[in-house]
Amino acid sequence: MANAAEGRRQVLESVYSVIALVFILVACVELCDASTVVDVYRLIQYDISGVPFGSRVASLNHHAGSSLFAPGSDLSRTVVILPLRELNETFIREYIEQGKPLGGLLLLLPRIFRSENSETVGGYGDSSDKENMKKLLVDLERRLIHASINYPVYFAFEDEDLDTVLADIKRNDAAGQPATATTGGYKLIVTSPTPKKLASPTITNIQGWLPGLKADGDSNQLPTIAIVASYDTFGAAPALSVGSDSNGSGVVALLEIARLFSILYSNPNTRGKYNILFGLTSGGPYNYNGTQKWLRSFDQRLRESIDYAICLNSLGSGEKGLWVHVSKPPENAYVKQIYEGLSNVAEELGLEVGLKHKKINVSNSRVAWEHEQFSRLRVTAATLSGLSVAPNLLENAGGLSDNREFVSEAAVVQSVKLVAESLARHIYGQQGKDVNIFADNSSLAVNPSYIRSWLDLLSRTPRVAPFLSKDNAFIMALKKELANHVVEVNLQHDVLDGIFTFYDSTVNTLQIYQVASVTFDLLLLLVLGSYLITLFSFLVITTRGVDDLISLFRRPPSRKVKSV
Amino acid sequence: MTMFHFFNCAILTFGPHAVYYSATPLSEYDTLGTSVKTAVVYLVTALVKLVCLATFLKVSESDSFDPSQELLKALIGFVDVAGLYFALTQLTHRNISQNHKFQAVGLGWAFADSVLHRLAPLWVGARGLEFTWDYILQGLEANANLMLSISLAALGSLMWLRKNKPKTLIPIIYACAVIVATMPSITSYLRWGLGWHLPEVVGFQLFTSLAMALISWQLFSACQRPSA
Repeated sequence: MANAAEGRRQVLESVYSVIALVFILVACVELCDASTVVDVYRLIQYDISGVPFGSRVASLNHHAGSSLFAPGSDLSRTVVILPLRELNETFIREYIEQGKPLGGLLLLLPRIFRSENSETVGGYGDSSDKENMKKLLVDLERRLIHASINYPVYFAFEDEDLDTVLADIKRNDAAGQPATATTGGYKLIVTSPTPKKLASPTITNIQGWLPGLKADGDSNQLPTIAIVASYDTFGAAPALSVGSDSNGSGVVALLEIARLFSILYSNPNTRGKYNILFGLTSGGPYNYNGTQKWLRSFDQRLRESIDYAICLNSLGSGEKGLWVHVSKPPENAYVKQIYEGLSNVAEELGLEVGLKHKKINVSNSRVAWEHEQFSRLRVTAATLSGLSVAPNLLENAGGLSDNREFVSEAAVVQSVKLVAESLARHIYGQQGKDVNIFADNSSLAVNPSYIRSWLDLLSRTPRVAPFLSKDNAFIMALKKELANHVVEVNLQHDVLDGIFTFYDSTVNTLQIYQVASVTFDLLLLLVLGSYLITLFSFLVITTRGVDDLISLFRRPPSRKVKSV
Repeated sequence: MTMFHFFNCAILTFGPHAVYYSATPLSEYDTLGTSVKTAVVYLVTALVKLVCLATFLKVSESDSFDPSQELLKALIGFVDVAGLYFALTQLTHRNISQNHKFQAVGLGWAFADSVLHRLAPLWVGARGLEFTWDYILQGLEANANLMLSISLAALGSLMWLRKNKPKTLIPIIYACAVIVATMPSITSYLRWGLGWHLPEVVGFQLFTSLAMALISWQLFSACQRPSA
């Protein structure tokens, strides 16, 4: 008898341990079952000389709210979902610039700003609406970049799922019951570790040569013309900064010019007496830091052999005309020569080219144009740009609003013709003559499909320098493409100016859960309890009779507790 | 908060079984053994059913409703009836009256079904942050299933155990048994064939199970009378 009891106890114990194991295993099962999961792009987080800018937090776990909140209400535990078109001045001033507490901010961008669908041009809204949106976004981006924000800020693109969620939230808010832990609604969750500093971000410059025809002696004796474009971008969301115009258009123009001249230089009869140096520089938004380091790496002889440099910048919006920015006075002979060369060709193409002179202030660390880095080293240089005024630091560097939708391929084609033609006339000594070297339909014609495909590629590739590794696929592609046309292509790696510090965690996934409130759960418990009690009474009455039920309650309470 | 919701759903899913056991005379006659044995029979039956389904059923890529496949599924569903038959006729646990036996069998059957089909999804799903009505509906479905199981057991005990029943009632008993036994196929048809939504299906299940429970109750008491 005792043995049997012992054996049974052992069996029971083993059963218990198996059950415990099963429960532990089951408890580990955690499934992602959110109603909506979207990619979100975090506002950039960076320091300039230790001063914090951008959004300082990445993780998010709060209830959602819409723009319909009551003024003056406490939003420190609410994530406000805000479509770009509903953004108003008061909100920006209070929550972005004055730093009122907020649980988080999710900004919804219209679909046109999505870089993935860059090929599907048009078919969305009218152009004035588009332009308005762009203006709004440019303004918003400027203020976000220069503010230091103590809550997470994310960007997402409008889509059906988010629209329905937002409509629900708005209905809730309009009914005067904003979502908190007790009333239910939606919960937005981004799980992300604390953003970490990027260790010594690198910048990579790419250079290549088209050597001229040497008469006798070293080719280094020949004068050099440099064509330069900076390829990296900066924007409020690093993962969305594709910079189709600034400076994707410049990069495309440079590649096309390299292609055209490589055809000319491959034939000894048409090889000019100038070396052409092509440079794709990085660090453009940071005072052309990469250009500076690239130029510093040249030896004195090479630097002195540079006749002049033309920097290409934001050519895709230049339908209305282009500007030649110089830092030497227009009376200077070299500047005059460059400008006249360009404006002569521009006249034939029906383009307007203006000249803008901006003196360099050596004590000011701000370098607004790429050519200023050349000028500081006493090399004649000019920037050809669609922009008429010098941008501020970190602005106009290919941010959120700068995408394929707003870049005109035709403008890039025109600029390429302009630069290539004036360059060719200078190299072959045909200034002022009415020759058309790169005429349409000739073998030297500008290839619009080449420009289009590269513009499309650039418009899909975010290129914020600190987030590009040394052997990034895109940099390798640029190098390979340049190597197809020119020789001696090599990469130069350097470290970005130390005053800039960047933080990681640029893309995250946002999970949106529809949650029930605590009151709902309490109510449900109440309903269920009364249901079970009713069921109990009903069963007792039907199977044993009313008297039994009444007698149940007369018994000691311990029996009752056991039975329920 | 989500643990709370899980708790609520678990009460809704498994509470009625416990209440049924404690409220009816089942608890006084200690019929737990019969229920446990029935649960084991249910497990074996479910295994047999799975093997049959895996052997005879083609895997359909789409969610569409295929009549021949569904017919086969319904036929395999009658394995359940065989299992219940075994539980009712072969299991002898002490000498409990027929009256209590079918209830204990039905209860054990329904409870095993709930544990097997609903516990795991409940644990995985209802603890999540996302709120859906699904688990509450699933709990209601468990209630309907309890009623159906007990009705089927009652009808089964009338068919197989009771010898002296009124002749006129026999066809009705058989018809009802067939209806109750095919109920899973009917709900599956409503859900996939007619595209009903889950709330509608659960409402239908609750309504029909309540109706069938009432009918079987009446039949049972009608058969009880002459013998009493």
